[in-house]
Amino acid sequence: MTSFLNRQDSYQEYDYFPGDAYPGDHHSLRLRRLSSGRSIHNIPHYNPSLSDGGDSEDDNQGQPRELRSLPRHMAIKKAKLKSRGIQVPVLSKAEMWKQDKLKKLQKLQNKAREILFFLALWGKTLQKIGGNFGGGVQSYFLFLRFLVILNFVSFLLMAGFVIIPSLVFRQVGVSFMNSNSTGEEICTVYEPNPPGLVVFYDYFLNLLSGTGFMEYSFMFYGYYNNTMVEDRNFSYKIPLAYLFTAIFYFAFCLICIVTRMGSAARVAVATGGSTAVNYSMIVFTGWDYGCLGDTATKLKQKNLLYRLQVDLEEERLKKHAASLTLLQKFGLHSLRLLMFLLVLGLNIAAFFGIFYATRYSQAQQNQSAGIQALFYEYLPSVVISAGNFLVPLLCDQIAKVERYSPSITVIVALLRAVVLRFVSLGVLLFTLWDQITCKGKINDLKCMLCGYNYESYPCWETRVGQEMYKLTLFDLLINIALLVLVEFPRRMVVDNWSSKISQLVGRQEFVVSSSVLGLVYSQTVVWTGALFCPLLPLINTVKFVILFYCKKITLFSNCRPPQKTFRSTTSAFFFLVVLLLGWMLASVVLIYSIAVIRPSLGCGPFRFSDNMWSVVPKSLYSLPLVTQEFLFFLGSQAFTIPLFSLSSLVMFYVIALFSIYGKSVRLLRQQLKGESRDKQFLVKQIGELSQ
Amino acid sequence: MGTTASQLDTLRLLEYEVSVHSSIQELTFLTKQEILHAYQRFDELVPKEVKNRLDYRISMNDVLTLPELKANPFNERICKVFSTSDIKDGSLDFDDFLDLLSAFSDSATLDIKSHYAFRIFDFDDDGTLGRHDLEKLVNCLTGGTDDTNLTPDEMRQLIDNILEESDIDKDGTVNLSEFQHVISRSPDFVSSFKIVL
Repeated sequence: MTSFLNRQDSYQEYDYFPGDAYPGDHHSLRLRRLSSGRSIHNIPHYNPSLSDGGDSEDDNQGQPRELRSLPRHMAIKKAKLKSRGIQVPVLSKAEMWKQDKLKKLQKLQNKAREILFFLALWGKTLQKIGGNFGGGVQSYFLFLRFLVILNFVSFLLMAGFVIIPSLVFRQVGVSFMNSNSTGEEICTVYEPNPPGLVVFYDYFLNLLSGTGFMEYSFMFYGYYNNTMVEDRNFSYKIPLAYLFTAIFYFAFCLICIVTRMGSAARVAVATGGSTAVNYSMIVFTGWDYGCLGDTATKLKQKNLLYRLQVDLEEERLKKHAASLTLLQKFGLHSLRLLMFLLVLGLNIAAFFGIFYATRYSQAQQNQSAGIQALFYEYLPSVVISAGNFLVPLLCDQIAKVERYSPSITVIVALLRAVVLRFVSLGVLLFTLWDQITCKGKINDLKCMLCGYNYESYPCWETRVGQEMYKLTLFDLLINIALLVLVEFPRRMVVDNWSSKISQLVGRQEFVVSSSVLGLVYSQTVVWTGALFCPLLPLINTVKFVILFYCKKITLFSNCRPPQKTFRSTTSAFFFLVVLLLGWMLASVVLIYSIAVIRPSLGCGPFRFSDNMWSVVPKSLYSLPLVTQEFLFFLGSQAFTIPLFSLSSLVMFYVIALFSIYGKSVRLLRQQLKGESRDKQFLVKQIGELSQ
Repeated sequence: MGTTASQLDTLRLLEYEVSVHSSIQELTFLTKQEILHAYQRFDELVPKEVKNRLDYRISMNDVLTLPELKANPFNERICKVFSTSDIKDGSLDFDDFLDLLSAFSDSATLDIKSHYAFRIFDFDDDGTLGRHDLEKLVNCLTGGTDDTNLTPDEMRQLIDNILEESDIDKDGTVNLSEFQHVISRSPDFVSSFKIVL
């Protein structure tokens, strides 16, 4: 009853003060000045708990309501504070002490948060970028920072478990030879550093291609021996450490990506789905109040205008598309099919190019020297980069013919670029596999003796590691070269030479999607090569740091702010999904290398096993019996089937919970609608009764 | 800079109040440093000869010379919303200024921010966002001049869409709860509704 009366109260205020719907503040200011005990009228529709007689200071938990969360003017808050001070608080000494401690804890938390933000890598830079260029560009740099940290932690992992023990135990440990080798002596010969004079510039070439002095070093797989150290209570086997570190590295990366995806997904779900364009959201929350200065403000306004116009146009296009006749629809779909086939054809052409280039390069590598050798070494990287540059360009032109709506065009372009990048990497790996294992036929002439193509690849793991190293290095060099040779000159030309062409071309725009794909591609290369080149995560960390600063410089000097906005909250999720795809590709390579291919006999810690995984069963049998039984039990059906059923149960529970939350949200919305209808009905009743 | 005696006295008084009684800190979301810094910026706008500096009302035009507010398309609305002056001219005294900064600070709650955002967007102060309010809001967002506005058709389409999405009780206007409902789904609002001196 009281709440109804209060609603009536607020409606009366509504009626009596048109044009001044917030009389509550002024009312109460005057009341406060008169006496300090009256109740406060509230703004219509505001928190009904305040509309009760006195001030309800405590909410349900009995904690005093924070004064600063009250949306009132300062004078009212001060008066409330005073009145609270006057009413002797009925709190015991213990409670007062507790509240005091809580306040101190909160202050400490705030201080810690401030310090953490200060220490976070590049925190201020990222904020500056977000303020000037928007959320889309900022999400790229956030993603880059995440990858830098991931790579650095992975390097620490590798260093701690593989590189440092290898360094230390190389002198101390025992490296056992397998005496039951059956006439394969020729396979064990591996000479990475042929004796003789070395020309001085060879060092530089070796640095770029990972051969020579770099080949037989901690960089690559071939340097590690199967040393084993055994002490009274401590034993450390390098092969086991190497294998488990690689596997754990992959698992660790997966956990990091999935956790990050979880938090990004939560945000995306909370905002109610990304595909539905939400005009209210743009209009109500679109403005950034931190924008300083006229230029930034005008820019933001232009952005918003463009965004609204694009969304409105897209809606009009959708309505138009829905109203096409059957014949027109048929024509449009067949056109799209044709374009799809064209794109497929372009991709296949690119893949064949990579295939032949790799094969040619591998064939030429042993037969040339000097600069020419370098050229042949880098041929696959060049072809991949050229393909990744040209094919999307052509696809963009094709997309103009297809006439999808703008948002779908962006997604389609991204998907095509993703497929292109990953499949080109896959083709490179396939070509290598092809050469190393003689197309998988063990009984082929070249592979019969050692199980792999010994003549061309005395240490095939090192060779694969070298290819990945070259890809990484080439990617970095291309980025720096583009920066110096294309972006800076473009800006200088556009700024200083005003002609029609330079107006048309304009300053560069930072394209987020293709940059992100570049990052995902580099990371996939690193994952693929990490088993064969343990220092690759470190090199990648350095590369990404250099890339961060290069991109930052080019962003602030050469780029104009983006015209098209990129949704930052859902794009973060999309980047992580693509990264996960790259991870899956790399894990396929990992599993295949560990489980199937015969390791080289001349180098590496696995040289005397049939495959890399077989060191695990061998060392398993040296564990105490109880541990062995326990591990066997974990792998048996008695354990996995209950585990599987339990996880399915948990999954169904979570799905049920999710659907129930959705239903309750819908129910609450209906209730809201119902309540407002009640309100209108009652107002009508009041009007009728008062007549 | 040449602070006069009265300025120094007021500053010391403020520091005393803030540190010993800590009453102002309970009433705003600002830290002690921020409050003192805010006072320094406020003080620059008060004419030198005024004695009672904390109670002086700065006119709206002077407030709008602050760089953080100068280019903001909502600057006048912000001043009018936070002003407690009887003649409703948008002038602010120091308490109003603290209120403003508190609502726009880092640690203010979503509740406070959405409440004040609603009041800022309510151009005719009638407690709801009607078609005219929304139209003025969109014009502020896109620039306000003739060549940066949407065409009347686009505007009509946009406002129809906004009302369809957010007007739950279908009364043709967006009230505070509907507004807060839309805001609660945006993850970027709290970080964009921020002014830091």
